Amino acid sequence: MLIQSHDEAAGPSRSGRPLETAVAALALRLARVAGPRLGNPVLDRLSQVFARRHPRAAEALAELPAATVLVDPTDLPSGLLLRLGPGGLRLRLCDAAATTADAMVRGRFGALLDLAEGRIDGDALFFRRDLTIAGDTALVVALRNALDGEDIDLLAEIDAAAGPIGRFGPKARQHAAQTAARVAETLSGLRSALLRPEARRLDALERRVARVESRVESREP
Amino acid sequence: MAHFELICPAGTPAALRAAVDAGADAVYCGFRDATNARNFPGLNFSVREMAEGIAYAHGRGRKLFIAINTYPTAGNPGPWHQAVDQAASLGADAVILADYGLLDYAARRHPRLKLHLSVQASAANADAVTLYRDVFGVRRVVLPRVLTVPDIARLTAETGVETEVFVFGGLCPMAEGRCSLSSYATGQSPNRQGVCSPASHVRYEPRGTTLVSRLGDFTINRFEDGEPAGYPTLCKGRFVARGQASYLFEEPTSLNAIALLPELKAAGVRALKIEGRQRGKAYIAAVVGAYRQALDSFDRTGRAEVPQLAPTLADVIEGRRDTTGAYTRGWR
Repeated sequence: MLIQSHDEAAGPSRSGRPLETAVAALALRLARVAGPRLGNPVLDRLSQVFARRHPRAAEALAELPAATVLVDPTDLPSGLLLRLGPGGLRLRLCDAAATTADAMVRGRFGALLDLAEGRIDGDALFFRRDLTIAGDTALVVALRNALDGEDIDLLAEIDAAAGPIGRFGPKARQHAAQTAARVAETLSGLRSALLRPEARRLDALERRVARVESRVESREP
Repeated sequence: MAHFELICPAGTPAALRAAVDAGADAVYCGFRDATNARNFPGLNFSVREMAEGIAYAHGRGRKLFIAINTYPTAGNPGPWHQAVDQAASLGADAVILADYGLLDYAARRHPRLKLHLSVQASAANADAVTLYRDVFGVRRVVLPRVLTVPDIARLTAETGVETEVFVFGGLCPMAEGRCSLSSYATGQSPNRQGVCSPASHVRYEPRGTTLVSRLGDFTINRFEDGEPAGYPTLCKGRFVARGQASYLFEEPTSLNAIALLPELKAAGVRALKIEGRQRGKAYIAAVVGAYRQALDSFDRTGRAEVPQLAPTLADVIEGRRDTTGAYTRGWR
């Protein structure tokens, strides 16, 4: 029932928000390392916060018949199993390769994150083969529409689920983003400094070529 | 001459806000039931959400049209009448209808409610449009995507009815409102149940690195590794005829008439419509924003600025290719 992804190294699906993607990926890895006894209560808390902050989507997902959707990020070791239906949304980490579900959504983690937040169009990802779906298509469509109808910020959901500690989340990310920007700026300056002598040589060569061309043209009849 | 009115789709409240914020002059939506032709799982608006959507649009000087454009079930017009009554009481700027009986109901029961004729009515000639105008007081007609620009110019001049044409999005090449391909394959159609190729009947199957799409019992297409994919509709299926696989009706491609703005203006078109109530809010924001920019530029210069918009639009369309469809094409 599962469809193989076509090109897992495809560039266009890479998220435009590398820091946020890295933070979310780290959270997923930590939850995996922590194991189900520690990880499951955190995921349950996240589901509760999601239901409180997005009642329209929570209601729509609860109205679906009981079903499971496997979310399989191709660049992470863990998958996420979503249980939908009368009990509301429930999340569990899983081994994607060993898990069967009623439907499956597969793509790069950054693209899946953007899709969940409605920052990218799912059909567009599908058209360019950056997203693979299989199984119950209606279930995937219902899930997509329920999420897309909200203004979701997954990191804000994680902050909210973390309670008082979560208040430090936005500040920490802002600080990290500023640091990352400074590092990028420094690297860019360093690169320019290293390449400056080469650039000078190229300029000199261009000038010489131009002079030669000019001489040749002046000798033509 | 009046500016083009940009009419944009919304399948969810978030998409509605995205359309308005990106520069839509009007947004069209449907109630969450079979009364509209995009009755997809999880899509569309409850009555309360529609009221909030109208308030959002009106608060920013924009309009909201409600599509009630499926054909009522014989003997059970209640849900469709109720939808028209709700649209009127909520203060919708227009309702988009297709069925004669429903047009008659709306015209009699809500004489001040503006009536637009849906593309689902498939009114493709001056006689048909004139009939809807004279009998029901239809003020605007959404034209089927089978006419050339000269056809549109003649029809607009002959009828005096405002014309609205699709300029972007999924390209339906059939006689809309009459097409039975989806019904043939699945028992459900956009005309009656509001769904073309319903997701409940769609399956994607692995064949090595090839993606096979199926609708009901039919194989619709087989996309090789890296080949752009398309929707699993029969009209865009790739079938083997005389030993050769080809697209018999239409290729997986998207309508994009942005280059034809001067011609459509000269033809007397009043409104330009973007398809895609089933698409996500990221698509809505990208396409509406691009078209807003193009229309503003067109108003200033009288030219269609295509190249700078192309990358944004190419990234979101079916088959990753666009076409001007029938607007610049004769019958073959």
